[in-house]
Amino acid sequence: MSATLRPYLNAVRHTLSAAMCLHNFNSQVVERHNKPEVEVRSSKELLMTAVVVSRNEKEKVLIEPSINSIRISISIKQADDIERILCHKFMRFMMMRAENFIILRRKPVQGYDISFLITNFHTEQMFKHKLVDFVIHFMEEIDKEISEMKLAVNARARECAMEYLKRF
Amino acid sequence: MPMMIQEMMWTRPPQQAMAKNTFSSEFRNIDVDQYNEDNYKDDDGEPQSPPIGVDEATIVSLMNAGNHADALKLLLANAPVASKGKNEQAKDMALNLVLKVLLSVNKSQMDQIISSLDKTQLDVLMKYIYRGFERPSEGSSAILLIWHEKVYNAGGVGCIVRVLTDRKRV
Repeated sequence: MSATLRPYLNAVRHTLSAAMCLHNFNSQVVERHNKPEVEVRSSKELLMTAVVVSRNEKEKVLIEPSINSIRISISIKQADDIERILCHKFMRFMMMRAENFIILRRKPVQGYDISFLITNFHTEQMFKHKLVDFVIHFMEEIDKEISEMKLAVNARARECAMEYLKRF
Repeated sequence: MPMMIQEMMWTRPPQQAMAKNTFSSEFRNIDVDQYNEDNYKDDDGEPQSPPIGVDEATIVSLMNAGNHADALKLLLANAPVASKGKNEQAKDMALNLVLKVLLSVNKSQMDQIISSLDKTQLDVLMKYIYRGFERPSEGSSAILLIWHEKVYNAGGVGCIVRVLTDRKRV
């Protein structure tokens, strides 16, 4: 299973590098407005083909590029109920602080756990290859953190149970 | 007197005149932009009949003979590419065949097959790989990931960019 991790992350990295070619583009529909086209989806010619990279049925990444913005949605591996709850709470924690995160989207795209929205303004201020590195790093770390949290929960539960049952 | 009659001819009872103009606001729901001549249309003049996909029996016989390279080339050459929404049925059938071939090739043959493909065929192959990712089945993604890496090594970033920007989807 972990044999697919490296190829998966590499595939995502290459696809992101290809898709993250963003260009400032004012709104065609409303004067003097500048909106991320991938969110507005008003003009077909500004949207590029949305692409999925999947590692298995549970883990996949949806990349929706457009002329001035790109939306990256990640579906995280959740093997059982505990992981589902932990993942959900963790993602919610981060999404509530999306402003500090800068590139995070406040709500995940339907069917996925977390979404990033990167616009041309972000790529102008930050290095493109660093943004890609960040997303890949994020994907790697999330799995580790959720496993760590799960172990911590189980360890705590065991401690509590032991202390409690000492009385009997 | 004649003036008054003339006036009466031109004026209508107030209710009818005003109501007709302002009661209905249906016009606000019309999307005026669609009537704009400058509008981008996805497929300008594409009444061409879709290329007849390769028939399954040929592919199966080629695969049974162990000739995956030719099966793949045949499928890539006759891929039904069209803009989104057109020709979905042919596209799906072609996709199934291509996935069948891709998943049955073993790693050692992949390099050989890829080196025998030219640029356009690599692009079409990459499109199929991405479409294959959309419907993962047991172990399919792992093989597709290996394919993706090898095609990337051969085609470079440009291959992926062409997949993203080409309006003719596979």
